[in-house]
Order: sequence, then structure tokens, then C-alpha cells
Amino acid sequence: MTPPALPRSARLALALQRTLALAVSPLTTLAVAGLLRFWLRLRVEDREAARRTWRAIWRAREGPLLVCANHLTMIDSALIAWALAPPLWYVRHFSALPWNVPERTHFAATFTQRVLAYLFKCLPIVRGGSRDEVADTLARFAFLLSRGEAGLIFPEGGRSRTGRVEVENAAWGVGRIVKSVPGCRVLCVYLRGERQQSYSGVPARGDRLFVSLSTLEPKSDHAGLRGSRDVARQIAARLAEMEREHFAKHGEPAAPAEVRP
Amino acid sequence: MTHSEIFDRVVKILTPYVKNQEALASVSEKTHILDELKVNSARLVDVVLEFEDAFDIEIADEDVDSVETVGNAVELIEAKLG
Repeated sequence: MTPPALPRSARLALALQRTLALAVSPLTTLAVAGLLRFWLRLRVEDREAARRTWRAIWRAREGPLLVCANHLTMIDSALIAWALAPPLWYVRHFSALPWNVPERTHFAATFTQRVLAYLFKCLPIVRGGSRDEVADTLARFAFLLSRGEAGLIFPEGGRSRTGRVEVENAAWGVGRIVKSVPGCRVLCVYLRGERQQSYSGVPARGDRLFVSLSTLEPKSDHAGLRGSRDVARQIAARLAEMEREHFAKHGEPAAPAEVRP
Repeated sequence: MTHSEIFDRVVKILTPYVKNQEALASVSEKTHILDELKVNSARLVDVVLEFEDAFDIEIADEDVDSVETVGNAVELIEAKLG
């Protein structure tokens, strides 16, 4: 998987998607922020500190930046983007709004979902689907990273069924992406609601979210598959470490999550 | 090493990762590793690394994309063994 080798048609398609997503971004980013703040009534603990850190990391980036996060709710991508910057900041720094690779059956099953996914910088993927199709999507994702766009990926693939980061379940594709994009740095983001005991559709209404950030430059002495797996596990291990720190600082979740599909 | 010997070793390596034991009982070269045997896609790399060790071959990241069925795995290994 070599990002610069992406066919011209695929590059043009991505450029068009980015342009259209940018055109509607004042509406889409504000709408998402409004839903999270006023409908779900969520709030982020120490939000300004997290946002300062994110802006500093984004400004100081010296190469491609891949955001890797734990995964507990269906809207984690939106939660992370919202937690890290005000909506209109993303309009001015559109490359910082991360591209996502959401599961197609959840986020792009209907026409409306596909349109929304398109406008929210998503490249839907079928986990465990056709290997060629998965590889093609990851190649496009890696291409975007190599062109200075932020990307967001959940190393565990799906939402954690145990409610904890599962290092053994880290998808090696994450390592493959990092290895294929020269100079790629990883920003680990751990985000969890105070009442988030396990996985859920959305966080409990009115929940308080905690977010922590940690940069990582994963390296492996191994080549090929072993190297990819090694890198993926290093990332997941860092997230697990951040989780331990989270629980040490804030304690275990107070109540079950409200919504579970 | 014959085709059927490779097939048997591939199935043996896959066995601990298989969640659908019924599909394993009737496994053939057409059996889909993820869809039918229900091997976790995140663990597919572990399976392929075991192929590397068992057959003393090297498999590139891109080669994994061609492995969908048990037969694909057998063919890939045969190709690497020359």
C-alpha cells in the first residue's frame, strides 16, 4: 500500500468529497456540536485544556497525523472532534477535521446515511469484508494522511464489548497504515463518559466526558506483517495505559450507560 | 509438500481461531475464513504469521488482501514455497 500510487480518478474523487464537505462544514459542524451540547447535554471536563493541547499538536505537526482512539459509542468520532475544537475552528482548519473509516452497515446503509457520511469526511468500510475493498479504502485513507489531512481510526475496530481497551484485538491494519505513510505520527485519544460502563449507542444524556491526549511515534524492528501488528499493539497498549490512568484519576463509571442498541 | 498436506496444516493452524465449529467440520477450499469460519478479522494477521512460521515463508502485507478462503491461503503458501 503506497499512498502516492493512488489512481487519478480516486484522487479526484477524494478532492471532490473534501471540497463539498468543506462547503457545508459551517452547517454540519455547528449542527453536530448543537446536538451533542443541547440534545445530549454532554459536557467535556477541562475542555479548554484539551483544546489547547490539540491546537498545539496540530500547529506543530511535522508530518501526517493519525488520531487513534478507544471506542465505546457509535458517535465517538463526533465526540472527539467536538471535544478537541470548536465547530467553526474546523471550518478554518478543515484538514484537522479527521477523516473516518466507519462501518458501512451502521453508517452508510441508506441513501441519507451515505450522503451524511460523505459530507462528514467518511470512507465507509465493511469490517471483515472483501480484502481488496478494505485494502482500497485503507489506501485512500493513507493517501489522505500523506497529504496532510488528519485521520481518525479505532485500533480495536469495533466498540469494545468489555468496555475496556483490548490490546489483543488491535486491528493490524492500523499498523499497516502507519508504516505506509512516511513520518506518520499517532495521537492517542482516550475519551470516556463518567457514566460509560460499557459500550453503547450514544453516551448517557447529560454525561460528563473526560478526554486525554498522548502523542506516539510507534516503531518496530520487525518488517512486514509482524511489524504492522507490532505497531498496532503499541498504539493499543498506549490507549490501555491511558485507560488505567483515567480510572486511577477518576474512578470506575458511576452508572450504566443509558442507551444500548 | 503436497497440496493436501498444505491444506491440512492450514486448517490445523486456523482451528484455534475459528468461532464457527460447524463450518470447521465441513471445511473445504471454498470456505470463507472470515464469513463462514468466523475468524476475527483482527486475528487474521496472527493466522498469517503462523503460516509464515509453519511453512518458513515470508508473506507481504499486500498478500493478506488475497486471502479470503482457505483455498486462497493454500494457493498463497504454495506460491511462496515455489
